[in-house]
Amino acid sequence: MAEDAFEAVVAAHHAEIRRYLLRITAGGSDADDLSQETFLRAFRAYRGLAPGANVRAWLFAIATNLGRNHFRAQGRRRRAYAAAALERTGAAPDRADGQVLADETRAQMERVITSLPAKQRLAFIMRKMHELDYTEIGVSLRCSEESARAHVFQALRKVRRGLDGHLVGTEPRS
Amino acid sequence: MSSQHPVCRALEPDLLSVAVGEAGPAAAERVTAHVAGCRLCREELGHYRAVEGMMDTLRRVPLPGDDATLARAQLGSRLADLRSRMVGFGIFPSPLGPILIGRSEQGVAIVQYLPAGGSLPGHVRRLLGEDAVEDRVATEGLRAELVEYLEGRRARLDWPLDRRRMRGDFQRRVLDATAALPYGAVTSYAGIAARIGAPSAVRPVAQALRWNPLAIVIPCHRVIGSSGALTGYAGRHVDLKQRLLAVEGVKTVAARNDFKVNREAMYTMVTGDREYCVPTCGSLRSLPLTTLTLFSTREGAEASGVAPCTTCRPDLHPLPA
Repeated sequence: MAEDAFEAVVAAHHAEIRRYLLRITAGGSDADDLSQETFLRAFRAYRGLAPGANVRAWLFAIATNLGRNHFRAQGRRRRAYAAAALERTGAAPDRADGQVLADETRAQMERVITSLPAKQRLAFIMRKMHELDYTEIGVSLRCSEESARAHVFQALRKVRRGLDGHLVGTEPRS
Repeated sequence: MSSQHPVCRALEPDLLSVAVGEAGPAAAERVTAHVAGCRLCREELGHYRAVEGMMDTLRRVPLPGDDATLARAQLGSRLADLRSRMVGFGIFPSPLGPILIGRSEQGVAIVQYLPAGGSLPGHVRRLLGEDAVEDRVATEGLRAELVEYLEGRRARLDWPLDRRRMRGDFQRRVLDATAALPYGAVTSYAGIAARIGAPSAVRPVAQALRWNPLAIVIPCHRVIGSSGALTGYAGRHVDLKQRLLAVEGVKTVAARNDFKVNREAMYTMVTGDREYCVPTCGSLRSLPLTTLTLFSTREGAEASGVAPCTTCRPDLHPLPA
């Protein structure tokens, strides 16, 4: 039955979708609510999903849509996300010495990401944090693959500019 | 910042592609050749790589609040609840016009006539709410049986029912009493009121039957007015009621925007008795329909457990077919 298959979908994707929502919203309780809502919506529509469809990308699209509605409804995204981002900066255990990221630099990076326009921010997080490809990001943002790529690159430029003075460049490998 | 030199500007998209590891061989070669001689772009590439490295790190560090246990448990119970409410539906043509059939985990939840034309999706949404999905496969078997029924090739629809769309205890009792009316039998609203032990509640009974979530399956078409007139059905579709009754052998005559059951052509029983008669037996003719149950066939009457009257012997002197 479709129901059993859906159990497998929940098992495979719920934790990641919640993590994504955690990154794009104010934190735990919003991510809890929105991740549940994502899967309830998905369940309602699951039977209509084409066989062989990219379920993960489809779930990201539902979560993105809910997340954006949530931002609009709450009108508190920037404030809340900034707070959450700062909070996260404080707790980053288990860093190998070679990967140490100066807290200040990381906080600055998260501030820049937070201040990005919604589509660029979501595209950037989907690409860099969840490694979705541009087609998948395009589905989530209802735009073309090219636009999705442009959003990510535009975000990358802004992040890089926002970190001016914080960056110690690495020499390009030839 | 990157150099403003036109060559550097033109190369910038390639440079980003290389930095994020998405460049094709040609672009990679262009960038390698350029940064070998351009310090600013070399540094810029280094900066972008540093950003990529930071993003990599950020992706790997544990995310505060990353514990889905509670949300997952809540989701489990909300999904179970949704599953039990969820209706899979199909819309099918039938001899009586388009019909909506919906079933849930519990059983058949809704059978309704739909208006021909008009905005079906909106209508279906109003009937079913959000928790419904089109599922013709799950309803196909029901459709086939319903069509057999409407064509007179099947007398029973033995379906498990989901009764949650019924409205309250009173309506449930009315619909249960209605469901017990045998194929080919008719009784009055007053007859149903008497059956549920509320003989004065004739109007509330009629009111309760105005919304029957399981049209045809719960045969509210077998409940008629005390005068024998069909009175109402599915809004203004008394013609559908007449056609359903005709399938079951109940003879009616047209009467001023309505139809009237022809008592002379029906086997007759005082509701609650154990015997059925021809309509001319004894004083039956003078009794009001409110106290009677009428049957279109002897078989129908006997299938519901009553015997032929030993006086008028409908078994020996049947009504003309």
